[in-house]
Amino acid sequence: MKNMLILFCLCLSFFAGCTSKEPVPPPPEKKSDSRVLVIGLIPEQNIFKQMERYKPVAEYIHKKTGYKIELVVLPRYGNIIDNFVSKNMDGAFFGSFTYTLAHAKLGVEVLARPENLEGISSYHGLIFVRKDSGIRTAKDMKRKRFAFVDKATTAGYLLPLEYFHENDISDYRTYFQETYFTGTHEDAIHDVLEGKADIGAAKNTVFDKLANADSRINKYLLVLKKSPEVPENSLALRKDIDESVRKKLQDVLLDMHNDPEGMDVLKQFGARRFIETTNDDFEPVVRYCEHIHLDLSTYDYMN
Amino acid sequence: MKRIIIISITVFSLIFIISIGYIITSIEKSTSTLDKLIVLHQVEILREHLLIQIKRVQADLNLKNTRYARSVDTVVSDVANLQNVADTCFDCHHDEEVTQKLKGISSQIEEYKNALSRVFTIRANVARLDREEDIAFGIGAELIKQVDEMIALTTSKLEKRTQATLEKITEAKAILYFFLAFGPLLTIVLSYYLISSFTKPIKKLMHATTRLREGDLDHRIEGLKDEFGEVARSFNEMSGALKEHFTKIQRVEQGIVLGELAAGLAHEIKNPLTGVKGAIELISQEASIAQEDREMLLKAIEDVMRIEALMKDLMNFAKPPKPQYTTADINSILRATVSFALKHPSFSPGNGKTITLVNHLDENLPKTKADPQQLRQIFLNLLLNAAEEMPGGGTLRLETSYDAPSRQIQIRISDTGKGIPENFMDKIFQPFFTTKAKGTGLGLAIIRRLIEQHEGEISVANNVSGGAAFTIRLPANGHAE
Repeated sequence: MKNMLILFCLCLSFFAGCTSKEPVPPPPEKKSDSRVLVIGLIPEQNIFKQMERYKPVAEYIHKKTGYKIELVVLPRYGNIIDNFVSKNMDGAFFGSFTYTLAHAKLGVEVLARPENLEGISSYHGLIFVRKDSGIRTAKDMKRKRFAFVDKATTAGYLLPLEYFHENDISDYRTYFQETYFTGTHEDAIHDVLEGKADIGAAKNTVFDKLANADSRINKYLLVLKKSPEVPENSLALRKDIDESVRKKLQDVLLDMHNDPEGMDVLKQFGARRFIETTNDDFEPVVRYCEHIHLDLSTYDYMN
Repeated sequence: MKRIIIISITVFSLIFIISIGYIITSIEKSTSTLDKLIVLHQVEILREHLLIQIKRVQADLNLKNTRYARSVDTVVSDVANLQNVADTCFDCHHDEEVTQKLKGISSQIEEYKNALSRVFTIRANVARLDREEDIAFGIGAELIKQVDEMIALTTSKLEKRTQATLEKITEAKAILYFFLAFGPLLTIVLSYYLISSFTKPIKKLMHATTRLREGDLDHRIEGLKDEFGEVARSFNEMSGALKEHFTKIQRVEQGIVLGELAAGLAHEIKNPLTGVKGAIELISQEASIAQEDREMLLKAIEDVMRIEALMKDLMNFAKPPKPQYTTADINSILRATVSFALKHPSFSPGNGKTITLVNHLDENLPKTKADPQQLRQIFLNLLLNAAEEMPGGGTLRLETSYDAPSRQIQIRISDTGKGIPENFMDKIFQPFFTTKAKGTGLGLAIIRRLIEQHEGEISVANNVSGGAAFTIRLPANGHAE
């Protein structure tokens, strides 16, 4: 009887052992720094998708540096200049023109930019129409509807300005029946495709991306004008950021493609790697502004 | 019995396995059904959560151009939450119809996100802005409607499944209770049957033992099977053997008593009888006695002589002479006895009728230690009895044989007379039992005493074709040649 009781107790302890065995949570990762970096995102595409796209990169940086990255998506390109100060941003993924503006106005310093899967790290602007619209020249555009992206974009605004300048359109507001700012490159392309606008301007990288997913883009749209190549959206930090932080961030980004985990993140992001970027890379934008007689120090970027 | 035990253990095991199996299955089924129900509740909660998120984003949209407008960060966060809930919702397994609906909702959510993004990023004239807001709001409203329908569908399914589940649980409970009640009952019945199948034969055996102890040697155990049947057979054989031994002992005791009595009686009668016989002989020799009286006296002398012969038989039966063992050839003794017997008047019935003698003697019969004189007496007695049984003639068959396994010599003397009535069979060897008018009833009794002195046995049986056959079995002390 005694033996039976011992056996019973042993069985109980065995089962108790089985049921109480819960997965042991992994020890918290040792963080070298608990600093929080607020990074802004421009609405290059649908603002929700933009957030989803950059989130893995932010998490990767956090894991590697210990800096928590807080992403802030902005509904306007130009907002990023104002919000940089008001929202105490530490940095942002700037468009080529917004960086040029921010560098001029706020002194932000660029770190790195992505190189896409084809190895290209620059883009150019496009002016396009529907093939069946009959619009082929600036003259054909009179009294039509023009969809810009934002006043603070190279592809979505500076290129059209240059085009207007070349074609002696002194005031586009009166030349066109309607002009408006879609806010994203995607929407500018979709609006022309769907007939919401007659002419649109956007960057080629977004145009090509959409064209890969939707065959109607190449089938129905016709590109009338291209801008010179300018650098892709780049990460820049405010000028007073600690140099060690800047260095750490830059090292992680530039080394991502050598890390299997980083490779996965890059693949999701749609890039092959991050490359080092300096102010010199934005020289074409500065020259382009000069070409279209745009004074960066006085330019009103608000739509 | 072994079979019963195996069957019983199998039945008990089956009942146990079936009961346990049913209990486990019903618990599994109930928990599985409840799990499904919980999942369905979770699905309903998830869909309601999705609806709340869509409504929250719709509210963001509604408040956009008011002084209560929420920040873009809040909108982005709300849309992210909406997407998370939707992803969780779509990750669940659904049937084809629901999957199709969810796919429709998923693509509408994408449209909604695009439209919302556009509303928050576009800068255009009021008409265009209003149009974009209307589009986004319309998609949102349609989404709410569809998710509402899905929730209604889930709620309806949930109600039906809850009802069905409760019914199933009630049914399972009822069957479980039945098992709980019926299982022990069945076990009790089977146990009773099993115990009875053990105790009943034991009781019968106990009863038989008691009867035996009380002296009922004729009691036999009937109706037992299997191992208990074997025991009963052994018991019955034991009872039979006991009875046989007891009868033998009784007979020996009877013989002893009778011998003492006969010896005393013979002693007391013999001398007076000799005197009586002598006196009658003397009287009968008197010349003056009439012839008629002389014949009467001679008849009296004859009766006295018969009494003397009876006395002699009685003495022989009571105190048979000890066998003078010598190596004897049974066949030779039998042939010699037959030759002697054939001279007896019993073998000449007259009227042209004859008794045919048929010999089947085993020439390889081994010699044995026996008293030839006593054997001759035995054979002669049986041969004469057989001849007397065939007053109209017949066939007298003599057979000898040797049974090597039992090492017994068998002598069979068979006639074609009228045989022995069945009711006399067990009395025929008893002393003083006779069917003859002038028999003493001691002949066969003496034969059996003599054979038993030779450690042999004698039995009688009627032939199928008529007549009786006496069989003597004697131990063969010699070797078969």
